Amino acid sequence: MKIHDVGIAGTLESSDIIIHIEKNEGKGIEIELKSTVENQFGNQIRKVIKETLQELGVTDAIVRANDKGALDCTIRARVLTAVNRSAHSNNLPWEVK
Amino acid sequence: MWYDNFREQVINLQSKTERDQLEEFLKKQNLSLDRDIEYTVALFDGDKLAAAGSFSGRVLKCIAVDEEYKNMGLSSKIVTHLVNEAYSRGRTHLFIYTKPENKAIFSELGFYSIAEVPAKVVLMENRPDGIKKYLEEIARDNGDKKDSAAVIVNCNPFTLGHRYLIEYAASRCQRLHVFVLWEDKSSFPAEIRYRLVKEGIQHLTNVVLHKGKDYIISDATFPSYFIKEYQELVETHARLDLEIFTRHIAPSLDINRRFVGEEPYCKVTSAYNAIMQEILPIQGIDVQVVPRMVNDGHPISASRVRELIREGKLNEVKELVPETTYKFLLSPEAESIKKHIQSNSQRH
Repeated sequence: MKIHDVGIAGTLESSDIIIHIEKNEGKGIEIELKSTVENQFGNQIRKVIKETLQELGVTDAIVRANDKGALDCTIRARVLTAVNRSAHSNNLPWEVK
Repeated sequence: MWYDNFREQVINLQSKTERDQLEEFLKKQNLSLDRDIEYTVALFDGDKLAAAGSFSGRVLKCIAVDEEYKNMGLSSKIVTHLVNEAYSRGRTHLFIYTKPENKAIFSELGFYSIAEVPAKVVLMENRPDGIKKYLEEIARDNGDKKDSAAVIVNCNPFTLGHRYLIEYAASRCQRLHVFVLWEDKSSFPAEIRYRLVKEGIQHLTNVVLHKGKDYIISDATFPSYFIKEYQELVETHARLDLEIFTRHIAPSLDINRRFVGEEPYCKVTSAYNAIMQEILPIQGIDVQVVPRMVNDGHPISASRVRELIREGKLNEVKELVPETTYKFLLSPEAESIKKHIQSNSQRH
């Protein structure tokens, strides 16, 4: 998936993370992380962000993340939403019918 | 969770009742509602206002939490809401104006400090490298170190007075950096002001032209500049703007002098100039005030040019502006700008 615009998802509340994503054409993935648990989980958070982007096929992006102690599943969800917003795609299978 | 007790509401700034309540609330926090606010969100506990925050353009401001509700995370809720709303309006590079004692709170919320006037105000932005990127951009083609000076102009539009100031400054240094203000609050749009300066100074080989962007007398660094009415705030804003200039801009371009046109009319600009003369020399930057060029007994100024445009006296404008600006004023592109000036009577 290609990043066209700026996308944002998440909140600044405790146990959440706010993900801001924008294009970075041809320059790979850059992650700027700020976290209340940087010392304990900084690398794990970066890893989850990077993996989620790779699963979505995003190869170039600048990601600014401000984490307030989010769990991995929350991080994945926020990245997914931010990417979809910035790529203007709206075809997520939200629910199974 | 206790969040459930709070009702989030976008304030209708047109409604007198809601506005009064907000102003009353801000007053208790020693804040006032700036005139240029375009969006406000508040959290209510029942009917009681517990927290509020606003923005105008890309600047978040007037953010406050009632004493009774401090340390409950309400400011993060307000800021999240404001950031999302600003993003949805396409504004992603955001600034925040706050008192220095609140720096830690906003730093937690992902804002980074750019400059500070002690005990008064601190300006922050939502990118760790915002100003650094701008400095890299302007210094990219700088080359080797030379004796450099700076001139900062709005040029609304470019007149013979501006040209004189730039020629004067350029003849007294090895390299002159000219910054054109980038805020689109003037009658002439930024791109056009920039273009007219560029066309008008082509004969000068040691001048480097820059776009002032966010960090030089912009809505973010100097909001009261564009209100053009003297208030106490002007002094604080001027100090903040000059702090950014001396701390970030001047060092990255080796600027050791600043030339400025004498300001006989506008009180805000002359206050700015006075503070500049006070602050810059302490930081090792000389300030030289250049007297205005005079035509027919009157100093040439862009506001005089706009005045003549308003009165439809274009042939008199010819005496005050370079050939290139005059040509532009006669072009079809200038039609809408002239019309706008004629229908409007503000200073800008």
